[in-house]
Amino acid sequence: MKIRTMKYMVKEGFVNTYRNLLMSLASVSMVVASLLIFGIFLMLIINFSYNLNRLKAQVEIAVFLKNNATSLESADVELKIKNDERVLTYRKVTKEEAFAELATVYLEDSELIEGLTPDFLSESFRVHLKNVEDSAAFADEISRMEGVEDVTYPYDSLKKLGTVLNWINVGSMAVLALLLIISVSIIANTIKLTVYARRKEIEIMKYIGASDWFIRWPFIIEGVIIGFAGALIAFILTSYLYNSVESFVNAHTLDYGLSDLIKMVSIGNVAGQIFVIYAIIGMVMGGTGSIISVRKHLNV
Amino acid sequence: MIEFRNVTKLYPNGCVGLQNATLKIEKGEFVFVVGPSGSGKSTLLKLMLREEIPTEGEVYVNEFSIHDMPRREVPYLRRGLGVVFQDFRLLPNKTVYENVAFAMQVVEASPKEIRRQVPVALALVGLSKKAKVYPDQLSGGEQQRVALARAIVNNPSVLIADEPTGNLDPETSWEIMNLLDEINQRGTTVIVATHEKNIVDQMKKRVINLERGRIIRDVREGNYTNED
Repeated sequence: MKIRTMKYMVKEGFVNTYRNLLMSLASVSMVVASLLIFGIFLMLIINFSYNLNRLKAQVEIAVFLKNNATSLESADVELKIKNDERVLTYRKVTKEEAFAELATVYLEDSELIEGLTPDFLSESFRVHLKNVEDSAAFADEISRMEGVEDVTYPYDSLKKLGTVLNWINVGSMAVLALLLIISVSIIANTIKLTVYARRKEIEIMKYIGASDWFIRWPFIIEGVIIGFAGALIAFILTSYLYNSVESFVNAHTLDYGLSDLIKMVSIGNVAGQIFVIYAIIGMVMGGTGSIISVRKHLNV
Repeated sequence: MIEFRNVTKLYPNGCVGLQNATLKIEKGEFVFVVGPSGSGKSTLLKLMLREEIPTEGEVYVNEFSIHDMPRREVPYLRRGLGVVFQDFRLLPNKTVYENVAFAMQVVEASPKEIRRQVPVALALVGLSKKAKVYPDQLSGGEQQRVALARAIVNNPSVLIADEPTGNLDPETSWEIMNLLDEINQRGTTVIVATHEKNIVDQMKKRVINLERGRIIRDVREGNYTNED
């Protein structure tokens, strides 16, 4: 296609959008609404997986030795942990260290641990795995060793969170699909109006020998313009709304001392991606709407 | 060159458009297609433009075989054919110049070519002075002349006119017919479907007479009817 033809088509696309301003605006708002609803899910997913990954990175497997474990048994367990390929890092917590830890926790109620000596506590190893998925297998092996009292790992609860995340994913895809269908059909209707308004012109073009694509392109561009405009507006609204939610949440998690546990992704880190996702979805919606309408009503 | 070989066109509703029609139009001919309404004149022209596909038989227009050609080739067939209609079919929001230039834009001609060809076409139909006027400010005859300019601006080898004078008074009709004749003198094949008995009788061109989808008469230098 020649460059001046492309220019002509883009110009026609804009002219068409403007001529049908009211319907174009209606279509744009539909795209905005769809993307906003989708955006809520998207931001939920982003934050959920972000926090899940953060928590996963913090997951620590605690291997508690029996209180009366021998130093040989302790060395055995340590050797096993040290040589295990799945282990990223580990740290040995001696009875003294455990006691010191306990003392800090009960600093204000020291009478509770009065009379307690390090000997009451057990030695333990705190292990970080390279891959949290290996937690169960690893814990199982270690717990069968001599002198091991108990192995704890919080991975199961994380796994449940992961399932929840998957459901949110599925849900958002379903909502997106539904919204896509609605938006596409509204855009198709808008384009249909343009096709109708220009049916004489189209007929003349066909008689003169315009190729099918020459006739189609301006309509597709009109749809893409509508989709892109919707994406842009939706993006601005999303960033604005998300910013307010983010500062609200961050302020309150700080109040309740939860800021270590829950942390929202800052919009700056994902803005680029969100814009690209919105723009692609918006333009695909617009383009698809046009193609459907053009196929049905243009009969080129 | 246009050739119909035993062409039959039946419409889905059962109407007979054309029945076993065979004809040949050589390059540079001027042909009137006459007959009462519903006799198949429009079907004949539509088959040439591949607006319709023959039910049976073969149709050849220039180097194209209408009866079995892929849809994507239709634009290229039509670029070799100019068309004029009874109702002019100009774009009301474009000036005379723009209406003619539009035909060249659509086939992706260069702006240079457009600037060169459009004035030539307008001069040929005698409308150079009205280039910047909108169609609704023109008389019917003038509008049809714009349509003619648009039809010939891409230098088609065939000009097809479907009752081009149907909406015009007798005097203006003559002007249009003379223009068509002039275009024909320049080498373009011209095919005119018409009801204008007087004009056909006086111009002494080839006449193809249709009735109920059949070619009942095909004569050189003929009259509108057989009687005299």
